[in-house]
Amino acid sequence: MSDLPASPPGGPVNPVPHGSGPRGPAGPVGVIHDIGYRHYDGPRLGRGPATVALAVHTLRGVFGLGRPARSKIIPFALFGIMMLPAVVSIAVMAMVQQRAMEYTPYATIMQPVLAIFLASQSPYAVAPDLRFRVLPLYLSRPVGLWDYVGAKLAAMAVAMFTLLAVPLTVLYVGELLVDMPGPPQTSEYLAGMAGAVGYAVLLASLGVAIASFTPRRGLGVASVIALYLLASGVSTVVAAVMESVNDYAAAGWAWLINPFFLVDAAIPVGLFGTEPAAPGAYPTGVGVAAAIVLMLALIALSMVALIARYRKAASR
Amino acid sequence: MTILATEELSRSFPRVTALDRLTVTVGPGVTGLVGANGAGKSTLIKILLGLLPPSGGGARVLGMDVTAQGAEIRRVVGYMPEHDCLPPDLSATEFTVHMARMSGLPRTAARERAADVLRHVGLYEERYRPMGGYSTGMKQRVKLAQALVHDPRVVFLDEPTNGLDPQGRDEMLALIRRIGAEFGISVLVTSHLLGELERICDHVIVIDGGRLLRSSAIGEFTQATQTVTVEVEDGRDLLAARLTELGETVTTEGRALLLRVRAPQTYDVLRDAVCDLDLCLIRVEQGRQRIEDVFKEPADV
Repeated sequence: MSDLPASPPGGPVNPVPHGSGPRGPAGPVGVIHDIGYRHYDGPRLGRGPATVALAVHTLRGVFGLGRPARSKIIPFALFGIMMLPAVVSIAVMAMVQQRAMEYTPYATIMQPVLAIFLASQSPYAVAPDLRFRVLPLYLSRPVGLWDYVGAKLAAMAVAMFTLLAVPLTVLYVGELLVDMPGPPQTSEYLAGMAGAVGYAVLLASLGVAIASFTPRRGLGVASVIALYLLASGVSTVVAAVMESVNDYAAAGWAWLINPFFLVDAAIPVGLFGTEPAAPGAYPTGVGVAAAIVLMLALIALSMVALIARYRKAASR
Repeated sequence: MTILATEELSRSFPRVTALDRLTVTVGPGVTGLVGANGAGKSTLIKILLGLLPPSGGGARVLGMDVTAQGAEIRRVVGYMPEHDCLPPDLSATEFTVHMARMSGLPRTAARERAADVLRHVGLYEERYRPMGGYSTGMKQRVKLAQALVHDPRVVFLDEPTNGLDPQGRDEMLALIRRIGAEFGISVLVTSHLLGELERICDHVIVIDGGRLLRSSAIGEFTQATQTVTVEVEDGRDLLAARLTELGETVTTEGRALLLRVRAPQTYDVLRDAVCDLDLCLIRVEQGRQRIEDVFKEPADV
């Protein structure tokens, strides 16, 4: 027991032999110390380590670690589904020496799974602190509002990144082990990982910002998933209409309404020159810059919304 | 030594003035802050934590200015809010460890301190269960534990006895007394019941409508206003007559008598009177003075 140290420092110590009956000839005799209240004079770390601790705590919560078993079901089931294509692809590579899954379209192909994860878990990161009014306890400590929001965003971004980066890395390691003909697709893998950073940051910012507006978890889940369905639906319909009138440039812009294709256009396609994952081509030239700016603007907007939201919540 | 001091402190919200030029000084030990709901108690605590800027005047906690050094203040004070603040799916241990780390304690120190503090507030095996299933008394203990876990120099306890049954109330008050006396942590505790604070505080501040009504050491308070409730089996009127005869001030209240304590000798007079009349004494209890009594009696003592 950590609260019964063997040698209490100072204080009134009254060793009382515990248990009068013989408990073994030379066995240890239990001793109860009344050590009173002890002051803490160890180190007190600053805001930085506290913020990191908050981010780790939130990340554990997002995956249900240290929580009841039912909190683990959804995140780990979705994580398992994310791993499936990688595992199947490795098996296909091993057996028929063919690639079943590419690196850069991994996120866009699996976008419903990522969206469900975002919708179901990002309210978990923020809603309980609002609903159960834990926020005042954080704010009465050295942790500030910016630290709090930053930690929550970082935790969700790391969770989303893990969800994408682990299958990509497994796929890459599998490819190396299977020893496919031709050179390994290292640059595609790196483009995929760079894209994963973009997906993680953009999705986490959007998800946490939307979820923070309601203390009700269910409502948060519904809002995030509704926004995703709306964006991807509008994007697909507008792109299809534009393609039917042979306006392929406008269709390219329409794809960017979907946040997944926006990141795909900005990072893997825009910066690394990979094949687009959307059914049509993205706008080129100034379109790449626009996609990057749009992505960063969405992230910034989410953060502004978050800060505004928490300013209001903190003043209650 | 001054723990905290406010100087002409004001805070107004769009519709109400929560604090109106409040000037008080608080020394070490347990200090009670008494006021009716809406008197400005919670607003004062928020300002002292540096979470709410004052609209006029200033305040210092442990010599630090609340507007300029809020972060430094928050490192060395603890805060127990009035409202519920516990996530139901965490256990008391996990939650308290987490809160210790939020105050900047390293991981192992946080674990040790959490175990220590939970033991001091009286939570044992149940601390490993999710807090959703806790009783109000247990929740109040966890709330107190998270305020103490980083060994603050001052704690602000906002209505710690709220929602507790009489026994839980007594235990909580005894615990607060221990924090001030044994742990050596200064306490500012709010309540709307003056009577319960009287028993544990060294000093009481009464505010109403954001203004200072009274601030005095507990000795002055009790001397001026103390009463005891006396209940006897039969012969209430007999006893009342006898006590009046002996020069005491007695009023009847239901089956009991309210006896004004002028000096310690009053207790002797009461004892002798009961003995002489050969009455069966059921109870003698310190009167629970309520905030209203302070209003009735102008602060001219």
